[in-house]
Amino acid sequence: MNRSTHRASNKMRFRLLRASLVRRRSRVLVELLAVAIGASTMFCLATLALDVPSQLEQELRGLGANLLVSPESELDSALLQETQALIPADALVAQAAFRYETIRINSQPYLAVGTDISSATTIKGFWDMDGEWPSRLGEALVGRDVADWIGLRVGQRIILEGADLDHQLPVTVSGIFAAGGNEDALVVLNEADLASLTGRSDVFDVAEYSIALGGDQLSALADHINANVPGVVASPVQRMASSEAQVLAMLRSLLVLVSVIVLTLTVIGISTTMMAVVTERRVEIALRMALGASNKAIQREFILEAVVLGVLGGTLGVVLGFALANLVSQQVFTQSARFNGWFGLVCVVAAMVLAWGASRHPVSRAAAIDPALVLREE
Amino acid sequence: MVTMFVRLLFRSLSFSKAGKVLIALTTALGACVATSMLAVMFDIGDKVSRELSTYGANIVVRPKSAAVLDQFYDMEGIEAGQPLSEAQVANIKTIFWAFNVVEFSPYLSVEVEANGEPITLVGTWFAKELSLPTGEMSVAGLIGLRAWWTIDGGWIADAEEDMALVGVSAAERLGLGLGDFVEVKGVDGSSARLQVAGIIHSGGEEDEQIIAPLALVQRLSDRQGEVDWIEVSALTTPDNDLARRAARNPGSLSVSDWETWYCTAYASAIAYQIEEVIDGAVAKPVRLVTETQGVILTKTQSLMVLVTALALLSSALCIANLVTASVLERSAEIGLLKAIGATNGAVVRLILSEMCVVGVLGGALGYGLGIAASQVIGHVVFGSWISIRASVAGLTAVLVVLVVLAGSLPAVSQLLRLRPADVLHGR
Repeated sequence: MNRSTHRASNKMRFRLLRASLVRRRSRVLVELLAVAIGASTMFCLATLALDVPSQLEQELRGLGANLLVSPESELDSALLQETQALIPADALVAQAAFRYETIRINSQPYLAVGTDISSATTIKGFWDMDGEWPSRLGEALVGRDVADWIGLRVGQRIILEGADLDHQLPVTVSGIFAAGGNEDALVVLNEADLASLTGRSDVFDVAEYSIALGGDQLSALADHINANVPGVVASPVQRMASSEAQVLAMLRSLLVLVSVIVLTLTVIGISTTMMAVVTERRVEIALRMALGASNKAIQREFILEAVVLGVLGGTLGVVLGFALANLVSQQVFTQSARFNGWFGLVCVVAAMVLAWGASRHPVSRAAAIDPALVLREE
Repeated sequence: MVTMFVRLLFRSLSFSKAGKVLIALTTALGACVATSMLAVMFDIGDKVSRELSTYGANIVVRPKSAAVLDQFYDMEGIEAGQPLSEAQVANIKTIFWAFNVVEFSPYLSVEVEANGEPITLVGTWFAKELSLPTGEMSVAGLIGLRAWWTIDGGWIADAEEDMALVGVSAAERLGLGLGDFVEVKGVDGSSARLQVAGIIHSGGEEDEQIIAPLALVQRLSDRQGEVDWIEVSALTTPDNDLARRAARNPGSLSVSDWETWYCTAYASAIAYQIEEVIDGAVAKPVRLVTETQGVILTKTQSLMVLVTALALLSSALCIANLVTASVLERSAEIGLLKAIGATNGAVVRLILSEMCVVGVLGGALGYGLGIAASQVIGHVVFGSWISIRASVAGLTAVLVVLVVLAGSLPAVSQLLRLRPADVLHGR
């Protein structure tokens, strides 16, 4: 075959394809829609299955610490910095260091905790807050038990005293919090306020970290800190870490299983549509064979059609599927879903394979029958 | 006329069998997706909240006076009040939301000397069989509350009063291994010889403690029938505004709000009901746990609702698309029918009833398949059966019929516009 006839046959093929697409407009629309539904279901579910567990993990990491660092003797900001340097910055969700001291209100002893309020806000975000977190020095939070005991209300002014009654500090109760545990018996102050009451500063009893790492990685990080920072003991909060791992594993397997079931059924459903549409073209195939088209030429044309359908329908499906996944993500987690380009490509290719696979059987069956028989049926 | 219609319907159903089978199959698949997703969606709340009991206790009950005391910080000047009574612990299973109480266990903590070293000894139930005032039996204890512990060795039974579990740090400090004996001396001179049945890795304060059956610890500390605190793990509804208001002050609610709150499984409502059945008790939700559980529950539920909606949409489009394709295919047949005098109404009736027959058959098959699929999900993900709500069948049926009919509409309207002569000419 020389070059010009080759080009002519190429031209012919495209004319056939265009004609077949344009002439059977409604059927092509049906096919295109089928491929797009398949691709969008696939892309949407896969995006969710990949994204949702990590989004939930992030959401949970906003609730309480999963790594505690306590000192062997004293924890100061130098040690804290040394520790924090070992924690991957992108995994660190929140951290706060706390110092516990005895203070007095009306001469009665209470336990106060000093911290950097702005960082504690995140890590203690699960506290039920009546009022506001302190926004400046001279404001304090009191636990529900303390408030009930002394009869404190939000906005009230109280005088705090040092344990030895040597210092005084008037503060405003900016909020009353409930945590449900021992914390309800605490008074929460800015670290600087507590320092002015007790004369001690830059010393902490415990540092809490919320780190977006799974169970094994978290234990590895704790070991790493223990090995490299002398003077501190890091330990994962087993209860949060392992329960969280279990729940996330549950969610992951739920999403994967749901995706597999929905996808399998969708793919089968779409193949039936494609098969129905292609079967209908028996006469056309027979006529073309009667006019001398080879079996191979017909197969080739259908592959070309599958490619066109796959690219158009698949791309449409990926766009739609991402929009849907994003919608779900926004609704549930108020976060956008991440677009995975490779996965989009896989979806488009899968759409082509689907379009081609569904037409292969009816086409080869149509091609196998004597054209005369098919044409006479008409 | 009617017999003619029925004959036509049957003829056409049996005529292009392959096409009908395809439609029935697709409908079945769509119905299968719809059934399984709806079944899982309706049951997911229950299933996930059961999974969430791995977080352990979400309500802690303490004696009234100790509720302001801190257990790990020394606070002087506050006298200990009336302790809780072990005899009343089982009352927890008699509250309004008793069914939602999954696990609970009482604790008694005492400072002792073990092999000469000071250490905290905690007494508790492990898996104690209780006969409730209602006449039912129930099992409660620590084992169900500590899903995250790993133990070298094994748990002990409540009757084994010469056995103990030792925290990993405590075991290191005391030089204890599995099967070793430890001499425990109470403050008032009473003592017991305990065998180490297990070493606990808890990642919490229990690593520094010895844990033994409650009765033994009561005897050692001469505090028969007393407990220090009770942990309760309950299935709860995530807090809303009402629950938050109630938790701050139940007295501030109006009568109807109060009833709604009391009869909803909020952690604060369950805590309130526990206070009602145990004398001198203050029960508090552990907010870290209830908040975490609430987040997981609401997120998973809303996610499942949306995924179900997507799956329904996709299967509906699938069915409608195929129905459109197969109706379009029959233009020749319809043209012939119209040529021999069929009215538009007759054609529409014929096609729609045909689709209904196919849809109902496929839908019924799909419903069965869908139930099977949902049970697969139940067993793989949650290890239990999914309970099928009656509404699932109804919703699936309505959905299938609507989708099949709606799917036929665009094709039907196109067929009605056909001119018989054109079609029969093959144009």
